[in-house]
Parts: sequence; C-alpha cells; structure tokens
Amino acid sequence: MNPMIDTTRRNFLGNVTTGLMGIGLQQLQASEISARPARPAKAKRVLQIFCPGAASHMDLWEHKPVLEKMHDRPLPGEDVVSFMGKNGPLMKSPWAFKPVGESGKMFTTLLPHMAQHVDDMAFFHGMHSQTNTHGPGCVFVNTGHPTEGFPSAGAWISHGLGSMNDNLPTYVAIPDIRGEPPNGKANWSNGFLPAQHQAIMMAAHQPIRNLARPHGVSEVEEKTTRDLLGFLNEHYANQRAEESVLRARIKAYELAARMQLSAPDVSDLSSEPEHMHKLYGTDSPNRLKSAYARNCILVRRLLERGVRYVNIYCSSRASGVDGLLNWDAHKTLKSDYERHGPIFDQPTAALLTDLKQSGLMEDTLVLWTTEFGRMPTRQENSSGRDHNPDGFTLWLMGAGVKGGVSYGATDDFGRRAEQNPTTIWEFYSTVLHILGLDYDTLSWYHNGLDRRLTDVHGRVIHEVLV
Amino acid sequence: MRNDVSIEVVSIEGVERRMMRLKLIVFAWILASLPMPVCGKVDFVEDVKPILESRCLRCHNPNNDQGDLSLAGPTNLFGTDRSLVVPGEPLQSELFLTVIPDEVGARPRMPKEGSLLSDAQVRILRQWILEGASWPPGLVLREASKADTSWWAYQPIKRANANTQFTTIDHFIRAQLEATGIVANRLADRRTLIRRATYDLTGLPPTVEEVEAFVKDRDSHAFEKLVDRLLGSPRYGERWGRHWLDVIRFGESRGYEQNHLINEAWPFRDYVIESINEDKAFDQLIREHLAGDVFGKGDLHVTIGSAFLVAGPADSVGNQDPIQKAQTRANTLDEVIRATGETFLGLTIGCSRCHDHKFDPITQRDYYQFYATFAGIEHGTVPWATPEQLRTHAAILEPLHERRKALQTQQSSMDDAVVARARKRLSEYERQWLRPAVQRTGTEERFDPVVARYVRLICDMQDENPLVRTFNLDEFEVWSTGENSYNVALAVHGATARGAARTIEDFPHAYGPQLTIDGKFGERFLSAAESLTIELAKPVEINRVFFSSARGEEFYSRGEFRTVADYRIQVSLDGHEWTEVAAGSDRKPANEAHQRMRLYWAELSREEQKERDRILAELDEVDEAIGRLPPLPQVWLGSRDHADGAGPFHVFVSGNPQQKGDVVLPASLSTLGHVVPKYELPPDADEAQRRLALAEWITHPDNPLTARVLANRIWHYHFGTGIVDTPSDFGYMGGRPTHPELLDFLAARLQEGGWKLKDMHRLIMLSDTYQQASTWRAEAAEQDGEGRLLWRFPPRRLSAEEIRDTMLVVAGQLETKMGGPGFRLYRYLRDNVSTYLPLDRHDRETYRRAVYHQNARASVVDLMTEYDQPDCTFSTPRRVQTTSPLQALTMLNHSFTLDMANAFAVRIGAADVDQQARRAFQLAYQRDPRGEELTRLRTAIRTSGLRAVCRAILNSSELIFLD
Repeated sequence: MNPMIDTTRRNFLGNVTTGLMGIGLQQLQASEISARPARPAKAKRVLQIFCPGAASHMDLWEHKPVLEKMHDRPLPGEDVVSFMGKNGPLMKSPWAFKPVGESGKMFTTLLPHMAQHVDDMAFFHGMHSQTNTHGPGCVFVNTGHPTEGFPSAGAWISHGLGSMNDNLPTYVAIPDIRGEPPNGKANWSNGFLPAQHQAIMMAAHQPIRNLARPHGVSEVEEKTTRDLLGFLNEHYANQRAEESVLRARIKAYELAARMQLSAPDVSDLSSEPEHMHKLYGTDSPNRLKSAYARNCILVRRLLERGVRYVNIYCSSRASGVDGLLNWDAHKTLKSDYERHGPIFDQPTAALLTDLKQSGLMEDTLVLWTTEFGRMPTRQENSSGRDHNPDGFTLWLMGAGVKGGVSYGATDDFGRRAEQNPTTIWEFYSTVLHILGLDYDTLSWYHNGLDRRLTDVHGRVIHEVLV
Repeated sequence: MRNDVSIEVVSIEGVERRMMRLKLIVFAWILASLPMPVCGKVDFVEDVKPILESRCLRCHNPNNDQGDLSLAGPTNLFGTDRSLVVPGEPLQSELFLTVIPDEVGARPRMPKEGSLLSDAQVRILRQWILEGASWPPGLVLREASKADTSWWAYQPIKRANANTQFTTIDHFIRAQLEATGIVANRLADRRTLIRRATYDLTGLPPTVEEVEAFVKDRDSHAFEKLVDRLLGSPRYGERWGRHWLDVIRFGESRGYEQNHLINEAWPFRDYVIESINEDKAFDQLIREHLAGDVFGKGDLHVTIGSAFLVAGPADSVGNQDPIQKAQTRANTLDEVIRATGETFLGLTIGCSRCHDHKFDPITQRDYYQFYATFAGIEHGTVPWATPEQLRTHAAILEPLHERRKALQTQQSSMDDAVVARARKRLSEYERQWLRPAVQRTGTEERFDPVVARYVRLICDMQDENPLVRTFNLDEFEVWSTGENSYNVALAVHGATARGAARTIEDFPHAYGPQLTIDGKFGERFLSAAESLTIELAKPVEINRVFFSSARGEEFYSRGEFRTVADYRIQVSLDGHEWTEVAAGSDRKPANEAHQRMRLYWAELSREEQKERDRILAELDEVDEAIGRLPPLPQVWLGSRDHADGAGPFHVFVSGNPQQKGDVVLPASLSTLGHVVPKYELPPDADEAQRRLALAEWITHPDNPLTARVLANRIWHYHFGTGIVDTPSDFGYMGGRPTHPELLDFLAARLQEGGWKLKDMHRLIMLSDTYQQASTWRAEAAEQDGEGRLLWRFPPRRLSAEEIRDTMLVVAGQLETKMGGPGFRLYRYLRDNVSTYLPLDRHDRETYRRAVYHQNARASVVDLMTEYDQPDCTFSTPRRVQTTSPLQALTMLNHSFTLDMANAFAVRIGAADVDQQARRAFQLAYQRDPRGEELTRLRTAIRTSGLRAVCRAILNSSELIFLD
C-alpha cells in the first residue's frame, strides 16, 4: 500500500478512537498519538503568553533609534495607507531604550521588570504576517492559518505529546479578566482535532465550568448516584467487552472525579506564601494588574502539576474605545501603554523568575506572542499607531533556547521585516523542534489534506537553539 | 580564510568562481560514483519531462513562479542572463549545479522539499544538457497530480444491465463477505431494531408503547411499516436536516473577530428541514442552493435555498488597506468555492488556490473559473418578501417618508431663518460670551468658597453634537480652599463618583465614573446620561473645580474626546438641595455647531417656539405611523452584486490577488471534462447565468460525482461510515470505496428514482445488512476488525443533539414546536465584538430539539460542545467522537441534568419502589430492569430517592449508546 494512504488511514482511525482529553489512560492515548517525538525533547511543556491587540514591536522589543532622529518627518519612500487609512509622519517611541543585561540589548524603559530576563530571550524581530486584521491575525499566530477553524498550537501539541498528569487538563487557556481576545475561543480551539484537545478555560477569577456538585445535591445523594451509575456502566460495558469506548467512559467519570478534587486545589492561591504574592504583584491596588498577577501564579501551579500547555492572555479584545482593553493603540499610544505595560510587566517577569528558581524552566518553553506589529508612523491626526502586518517581534525563552539572541530585524524604521524575515510557520517549526516533534509529520487528515500547524510550510530556525 | 572573506566582499563573481571550483571537485566525485551513462540519446519527453514535472514544477510554474522562474517552458532556461542551461555544458548550467551538492556531504540546494534527485535522474539531466538540451517546440509542462482523470471517482456510474445478478444491497455485501470467508450476523431482535430505526430516522427514542407494539407485531411487513411511519414523521426532517446542515457548514454567527450573531438565518434552516420532510428531489435542492434566487425569482421557498452560498463564515471587519481588502475578499470567495466543491462533488477544489492540485486533476485554472462563477456573492441580509409584498410595503411607506421629509425641510428652513436673524446681532450675543471656551485639555471654574459634601456637573450641550447631553471626561477635580489646597475628589481621599455610563457586560466598569477621580488621564468616563456626581468623604470648603477629557493629548480634537460645551456646576450638603456655583453659558462657544445652537435658542420667539412644537408633534405622528407598519422581515440570503460579478477574472499567481495571471472565464471543471458536457460562458454572461450554469452542470445526469457523493453520505449516516470513509473527498487523499459496485448501484438508483432520499432509506433499511445484530464476533473481527465489510451492524454513540433531545424526552419535557428563531444556550454580549458565555441555567424556552439551537461559531456550549457538535466554521462531513472527563463534569453537574432528573422523577410518580424502578428503566431504555439491576435500583431509591436514580440513568452509557 502507498505509505501516504497508510498515514491517512492511521489518522482516520485516530478520528474515532477514544482519547481522554489527554488525561490518564496511556494505553488509549497511545493509539491516538500520530506523531511520536522524533528526537529527545529539550522541553516538555509550553507556556504561551499572548498580548492581543498587536503589541507594538518598536515600543516594547525592537529599538529604532532612527525614529528618534526622524520624529515628525515623513516615512521616506512610502505613503502608507493601512487598516484605518492614511498615516501621518514618523513617531518615535514615547519611552527611552537603555542597554540591559550582559548582552547589552537596547530595551524599553516601559518594562523595567522584564528587562532582567532579556539575556534569556531569543527575539524574532523579523516576523511578518499575512493579515492586518486582529481576528485573522490572532488565529494565524495561534493556528498557523489566517482563516478560522484550524486547531491551535496547544491542541496540536496535545495531539502530538498527550498528557503528563492524571487529574488535570492537558491544555489550559487563561483569558484576561477584561474578557476574551479577538476571535474568542477560536484561539484555543481544537479545530477539527478531537474535542479532547481543546483548551480548558480557567483563570484565577473563573473556575473550570461544571466542576462543582450541583446545588441541592447532598453528599449522600451524590454517592448514591455515582454508585448506581458505576454499576450501570460497568454492567453495560461488561456485556460489550470489545467496545473500548464504554470502558473509556467509565475511566472518564473517574478522572472527572479526580479533577473535581485537584482543580480547586490548583486554583487556591491562598497556600502561596506572602513573598510570592509580593513578587507577582497580586497586592497591587490596580485591579487589572492584580488579576493578571493571580493568573500568572496559576500558570506556575498548572505547569508544576504537569499541564502540558498553558496559553495565558494579557488583555482582551477591541472595545468601543481603541486601545482600552488591549494593546491596540490607534490613537493614544502613550496613555494606552502606560496602562497595559505595568499590568503585564511585573507579573510576567515574576512568573519567569519563579519558573527559573523552581527549576521548571529546565524543561519549559516560553513563547511570547501577539498578532502583528504597529506602524512606525502615527495614524493621521493622532498620537497612536495603526496595524502593521509587515514587521513585528515574537520571542522564545527557556528550555532549548539560546538566550540573548536577536534573529532577524525590521528596517531602520520598523516598517518591514528586512533581515531574515520569519513566518509564524518557521516560529512554530522551531517550537515543535524543541518539543521533539517534526513540523512536517505532526499532521491530521481533514477534508482532502494532511493538515499541519505550519500549513505546507516550515523551517527550523537553528540560530535560536542551544 | 581571510582571503576567502575578502573575495566575498569584493566580488560576487569571485564567489561564483569559488562555488564553481567546489562544484567541480564534487562533480569529479559524483562522476566517479555514477554508473556510466546509457548509450543512445536522452529522450526529452520520456526521460527529462517526468523529472521536471514531478520534482520542479510545483514551485517553478507560471502560476507560482518561485524565484521568478518557471520551468513549464524553455523561455526561462535559455538565453537569459542567468544561463540556467548552457547547451553542451552541464557545469555551466545552473539547473544542473543546483541539484548536486556544493561540497561533499552538503545537501543540494534543490529540490527544496522532499527527497533529492536520484543518481539516475541527475545523470539524465546531465546527459540531456550534454546532448544540447533540446526542448520540443511548443511543449508545455505541467506538474502531474497523483491521480489523473482515469481515477475511479471520475468514471461514469456503472449501471446494472439485464445480466446482472446483483439486484439488492445484500447481494453486494454478501459477495464480499463470502470472498473473505466471513458470515454476517443474524437479524437483530425487535427491540434493538425499533430503537435503531427510530434514532436513525428521527434522532429520538421510541416510546415504550411503540416498542411493545412492534415486538408483538406478527406482520411480516412490520419493519417496513415502521420505516414508513418514521419517514412520515416531521421529526425525520429535523434529524436528516441536521446531517445536511453539518455538511453545508450552516452557522448563525459571522465568524472572525466581530463574530456577530446572525438572527436572520433560521428561515434557511427551516427550508432544509421542510425540503427533507417533503422529500424534495435532491438535485433540485442542489440547484436551489446554487441558484435558487435566479430561477425562483419571487418564490421565497425557492429563493431561500441559495442562502447556502452565504452559510459559511466571512470576515466583516472593514479595511482601508486595498491590498488586505482584496485578500479578505479572496478568502471569502475561497470559502464558498471550497464548500461547493466538497459538499456536492467530493472534490477538494480549495487545494488548487495557489497551484494545481497536488493529488487530484484539478487545475488552478479550474479554481479561478469557480471564482469567476461566484464573484458576485456578498454576505448579508435582504428583505424577506415577495416582489408583491415589497411593492405593497413601499406603497404605504413612501408617502410617509415624503411627509417626513417635507416636515424636516419646514423645520430646517425655520431654524435657518432664526439663526440668520441671530447672526445679525452676533456682536451683541458675543458680549455675553467673554470667557474662553471649554478646553478639552483642561477647564477651570473658580467660585466663592462654599462648604460642600456633593459636587455635580450637569451637561446641557455636548461639544461634538450639541443636540445631546452625554459627554466624556478623563478627570474631574475639586479643590479645597486654604493654603494646603488639595483635590478632595480623588478616590484615594475617600470620594466616590456616580453617573450613568456606557457599559460592557463582561467588564462592567470599563467606562465608569470612577475613572474621573482616579488621578489618571488615559481612560475616560463615557457618560450615558447628562450628569456626574462626586460625593466627598466629608463636607469640606471648596472654591475650584478643574475637568478635562483630553489632558496631555496632542490631537484633542478627535471625536473620542468629546465633552461638555454648556454645563453647570452645582454643590450640595445633603444631595437634595443643590446650589449652582458656576456655569459655562458665558464662555465662548466651543465650535461652530455649538454657537449655532446657542444662537438658535436665544433667538427663538414665542411664536416660533409654537411653530416648532407643531412641526415636532407632526413628525412624531409620522414616525409613529411608520413604526406601526411592521418592518419587512430580513433574511440572511446575501446580495448578488452584478458589478463585482463582472470580469475580467484572472488566475491569482500563488493565490495572491495582487499578481494576476491568465484571464479565466466561468466554466466547468476540467476534471470531469471527459464525462460531463463542458461549458464555458462568454465574458459578458452575468453572475446569475454563471451560477445557473454551474448548478445545471453539477446536477447533470452524466456527472458521476454528485450522485455518488450523495449516495455515500446517506450510507454514511445509516452505518456510521461511508462506502468511501471520507464523504467530502473522493480524490486521491480520500478513502477508497470498500464496495465500489454497491456505490454505483446506489448512485444509479438515486438518479433513476428521481433523487428521493426516502426511497434510499427504504432500500437501505429493508436490507438484512441493516437489520442484522451488532454482536461482535472474534473470528470475524480477526478478518475485518473495523467491520467495514459489514458482518455486523456497527453500534454507535448518540450525537450531541440526540443526547440532549433524549434527556428531554425521557424527562417528558421535549417541546416539539418546529421552526422559527432558534434558542440559545449562551449569553450573547456585544461590545464592538461578540462574546458568548455558556448559560448556567437552561430555562423552558430551551426545551426544544437541539437542531433549533442558534449555533454560533467559536462558542462553547457545555453538553453540545463536549459531545462533538462541530463548530460550524468548516463543513463537517463526518463528526469526530471523543470521550472526555468534561463530558462527565457537564452531564453530572450542569443544572440542566438536575432539572431533567427532577422532571424524570416526577414523571415516574409515586408508586411502590419496584414499580418506580421498572418505570424508570422503561422510560429511559424501553426495557425492564433485570436481576441485580432491580436490587440496585431498590437500594438507591430507598437511600436517596428517585432523583438520585434518575440522575444516574441520564448519565448512563446505555442511554446514549445504540446496538
């Protein structure tokens, strides 16, 4: 038989094989994993931090001194018409950049806490996207496709690597207290992969749905129901011993019961010592910062309990006022980022510090992502920046990553990726590589094609690997 | 080393020379390792063409053009400055050098993807160049797809002839089983059969009475009667309509960032259910999907069918960047093209968007011919009315609108006259406006010291639109008197702020009044009424307020900084008695519009005021009359833009709308050119004709795919797996038919019987294959583990919809009202974009069949999502099936289960424990409890009551699995 057909066939069996949201039941899972790690993995878990709204590369990560010299002068050679329309002259960053760390990387003074981690980051300064619209942009960066409906990176990795625990989800999405990001749940969707690969939503401010026993059901009644249910399901499964799905269903109820015990425990931050709360900033009078800080502690607690992939959001969607709820600073960049910067800075830096101190960083890969960049020019008659899909920055850190490296660059103004332009497919090829997976074999047959996270593209960027 | 570096810097040519040296070394090594060339000349067509076509052309073709290089013809190869091929000189021919390593052990630069060329292939290329690299005149190369037009699916349907021995489904199935040495199972028992058939055709369980009657029915046609009864039930269309809605990716939100709900799509869902219930010929349904609005002009029941075209997601965010806008448009049409190809033809046409299909004989040209066909489609709502209704509606509305316009003209000419009169005395007015206008960046009011507990700002006119009294403020400061004057309004000093604000449900204080006293300027209070009130921590003497909406902003004239133009400042000690301490009426107007409004009110005479009141009263009357007229209902049918639909159309090179390739015309697919009559429409054919031509071509009797794909879908839904297990992909990447002759037998019957689904159900369900038991047998499974040969009936889990519907039925709560707007299991929040929050409680209005749920894209709704209801963003020809702890959490703990358990318990009613136990099983499983089951039920009822038992049964496997 043609080997390609064989692959398809195996995937197809996967479609109907029972999996258990990656929890427990290794023997069932094994049949569902189509891509075994191709080589020893450097990292076994992933933290993806997403700042929706298109967080500006030239104000956060990539220093552009030319903008300071040419502030208020036109961008040479281009009359930019972008998402919102016409652009005004060039606009320097409202924040000074200073050299930090041993690498001496020029870094924004807006994020003083993050500065301490720069020597461990590998920046991708030459990112470019296919779309200048938030919704498609977010799903592009999360799924490798600018159109809707594809599985997110976390779902692919759940599919590729399975679970590492027997009482918690494999893949968790933590939305911001201000709401969901653009395109909402599509960002952590399983797409056409089986539902067990979807991210489970939870946050310090929002428990997993349906976790608690319903109101009005006593402990005794609960026990009666569970005992009887156990008997009925055993009985039914025993009569059909060949139907593994019936046995899996019994296991699923047992796992659910374990999750009912362990999930509230993981979200209970009161057991964290005072100095941890201080480190993360949960004591901040800024309600939004303290909420995000609590979510950051939750991230560490999930990772240390064997959750494979955590996708945390810092800010939410486009609201009635641009730049209020997320990093989409169209009109008032300075005041917008003076709002978002401090919410993001201390808690995120604390999380990275905590991961390093606890040793978790040894096998954790950290991704910082946003959907695209912003223009070096000001949006006409405003002091903000419009969408820029042609150049932006993402970074990696942690297991398998060479720190203090900057791969690629935009031009002098930050307008376009110029040096080593990089796609999201190459970014994820590299991520999968660090996890011991190959981007071209991690696939799933769907409507005519073996679909992949990196579409039909991909290339590992070895320059950022240790 | 240093030397080498300097070469690189100094001269590109130097690099090339160095590369050449290396290549020569490598080449010597290759020559040594290669077998000697075959004697005789290399034949281009036989030897070279296959290499170029299979290994180079995917990227280097005119429609992809990687590296600006096409190898489809000789143009790029010879005579260019690149010397890709120098006849007779392989070592000067880049085409050759690029497929061998630059140095020993290195990977050749080409091919970039896949394996390297074999030694034999390299040798052929070298020999071809040595022999002069001749290219037969006029020969154009194409990348060959894996399958060509001889692929099984593109052949005509094989029809039975007089000699055929196979006249029933069972003949085909048994023949294969016999060949494999497996025997089929015996027929299933009656209870199993009626449960299987009832769920299969209606998605609901039979009643215990129906089961008993069927079990006792001695008529040899009992099952046939049952099938006919079920096919006659309106529940049938709800079940099979849902299947079809999966395939045609029907969703009721727009998708992407905004993802707004679509409340006008349900008529199309009803149309699908009704069409299936009335057994509309399916080829007609397909034609209606593609062009119902063309040939059904005026008949709403036909027109609605074409909502298929806009049933998928489409990005609704505007974009001023023309390049991005064109890309979004191309994505929207791509969605329609994919849906059409996969739904009706089982062809993954979408894979040909950037290059010819790698696997199937579908060219990029084919794709853009479809693009031309659909280019007029726009998503959106249109009035849901016949031309007659539209005319009647307009006849009533037009005079009212005219009256309205006349009144408005009267009013504005009067207004203009008043303002013109006032302007003559402008200097007089201006003497009253001496103080500077309100500054958005900061405005101060000083007044005599006064002790206040409350301070409020009342807006009388807004600066952006003086007709309204809402305003924005970033900060409102109140300063105490004395030497240590401080801002007593700050929240840190114990003050609080009140005032109606614009709200966001999931982030309630986003625009709240607290933003005016937080000491920060970036975020603004967006008022929803005319006032802001500050309550101070204690009464304190004050003499100054300062407020702003754009503090520190350079571009303060932007709309989002709109604020008060005319205002009053009042103070109070008790919050009831207010004293005015300052007002803005003596300030200069903020702008032209503000000035006009002030002049108007100052100048308006008593008579004019009366006249104004009269006009306004009459306007109110007209508006009321308009309001009384029921608005025309709207439907999500989309519009058809003839201008957009007008060509010329092009192939987009590499799928990029900015790179236009060859001109294309709306035409049939080349894939089936050998079996279905082709068409190609002239450039001036309008968009309606184009879709009509496509609809006719897809449903042409000679089109083998349409009937095969549909017959296979029907089989798939009856048996859980199709004869082809990829129901929307009959190409190379799809599955192969397990029973190709049976598939053709079914397809032929479908066509010959007039495309009637109900006949197909009868044909299939009356077979022994369908009616056999699901018993698993080890010796059969050894031969055919997946059961694809159908030696047993495949057991299955119920779908998400069946599970919810069954819980409602068992609890006696299902409301069978058909049609109309759907219900929602989520809360819909909209603040520019949409958020969908699953509901914790499902009220009685949701107790309808799940097919009537208003499914929004990218939403997660508990039980429905956990049990694999697809996110209708893509077509779902086959649902995945998962088992997860989330299913358990939802089924055990969501209040819906508890509500159903309570209702189920009530339905069982008071009786002795054994009777209750029996009744519970009968209602849920249509059987009596046996042996230990009964003992367990007794104990449970006695320990915790009926509800505990009902909740267990609703969670049980037996409730949601079928033999």
